[in-house]
Amino acid sequence: MSPEVVIRLKDVAVTAGGREILSVERLSIARGERVAFIGNSGSGKTTLMRMLKGYVVPSRGVVEVLGAPVPLGDRQRMRGYHRQIGMIHQHFDLIGRESVWQNVYHGRLGYLPFLNSLLTRFTDADLQICTQAIKEVRLEDKLHRSARTLSGGEQQRVAIARTLAQEPTIFLADEPVSSLDPALAEDILDLLVAICDAYRLTLLVSLHLPELARRYADRIIAMQGGRIIWEGLPEELSGERIQEIYGRGDHRGEENDRLERASGFHMAWQQRIQGHPVPGG
Amino acid sequence: MLPPDWSVWDVLWRASIETLQTTVTGTFLGGLFAYPLGVLAASNWTPAWVHLPVKAVLAFIRSIPLLILALLFVSAVGLGPFPGVLAITVHSVGVLGRFVAEEIESTDPRPLQALQGTGATPIQIIQHGLIPQVLPQMVAHLAIRFEMNLRDSTILGLVGAGGLGFYVFLYVKQFQWEKTGVLCLAIVLLVFAGEFVSWQVRKRLL
Repeated sequence: MSPEVVIRLKDVAVTAGGREILSVERLSIARGERVAFIGNSGSGKTTLMRMLKGYVVPSRGVVEVLGAPVPLGDRQRMRGYHRQIGMIHQHFDLIGRESVWQNVYHGRLGYLPFLNSLLTRFTDADLQICTQAIKEVRLEDKLHRSARTLSGGEQQRVAIARTLAQEPTIFLADEPVSSLDPALAEDILDLLVAICDAYRLTLLVSLHLPELARRYADRIIAMQGGRIIWEGLPEELSGERIQEIYGRGDHRGEENDRLERASGFHMAWQQRIQGHPVPGG
Repeated sequence: MLPPDWSVWDVLWRASIETLQTTVTGTFLGGLFAYPLGVLAASNWTPAWVHLPVKAVLAFIRSIPLLILALLFVSAVGLGPFPGVLAITVHSVGVLGRFVAEEIESTDPRPLQALQGTGATPIQIIQHGLIPQVLPQMVAHLAIRFEMNLRDSTILGLVGAGGLGFYVFLYVKQFQWEKTGVLCLAIVLLVFAGEFVSWQVRKRLL
């Protein structure tokens, strides 16, 4: 029996500033798979992840996640969709003034009814899930420290715990170790892979270093100029191939990177208020 | 002005309390109106047809000097501390509203989007993401405003809006310099005390 496909892309494109910054003909990812995306800055890795998360609206094509199209524009269904797709980022994106515990329980906000959320009242089950998530990332001794006083590695562990608390099915990690030193980067990736294995989560991770991708992924996808230029198993990623992926000066990369940044951080409710979706990201 | 005439002790005590009450009430009411208006004036949270008019109203309010506002309110509601409270409230709305808007506009949007990514609703994002990020600065701005309002309210009496300034003006007109000196000393001490409180609040918050 073939494994269940959780992500399916067909002839998808994302446009920003009047140009295509992402174009994917076909991509399938199976449940429980660990896929690493590699490539230069502006190669489209982040745009692809943000599109899968529902932050970026494709200009054409079919994006199916967990057997259904991304419910863009449907506020209620989008809330449920966000819960299922966890995402961590390069800059951790925690609420720095809040404690580790508070940041982790933010992962449960998607499940809280309005009044409970207003009064910050969580059920016993919520508290248990948060406690377990904190245990998984080994931060029990730093529960009440404010997030901004933690080291980079610890902050990323808090972000992982927050994502775990939302009980996702798919875990997106957008350059999760780019701002960490090599030893910490390995620690974080070890933890991420162990958690995804334990909870049977599908992991999509974008990485700058091909060595890390070779070590942690089941499958590697290389991107350049917004397109997939190579796909294969870790052992098939040879030195020449790496040279080809990174070495061939990607003249569109910097411009794509700029466009990604320029349109990257609009919020969904702003899109609604201002009446138009974000083009690209 | 020397030697100081301490027989004004009663007047001094009453007028100082009145100045302090005017400041606290005006700053509190100003903050109460300024915070929601500041959110509406933040260009990254509201569409242009909302934030531009609100910003214009706040700028218009700021453009009117406090003493002119006090004069307007004295002519509208009569002498005493009440027009002083109104003048300080309106002036604080203009200044604090702008601070709040700028604070929100400079907030890092990435943690907010991360909360959106957990399935949080816009109200949850404001409660659990935006407010924790901007609240300390907002309270610090309020503390600075309190300190400045205290200084300003000491001279509001010059136009009949009560407080220490009213008696300073009265004694100057009567050439009672020894009493004027005592009141000026009280103004200096009160302003120093206000600055100390504001500094302590900001030190604990930031």
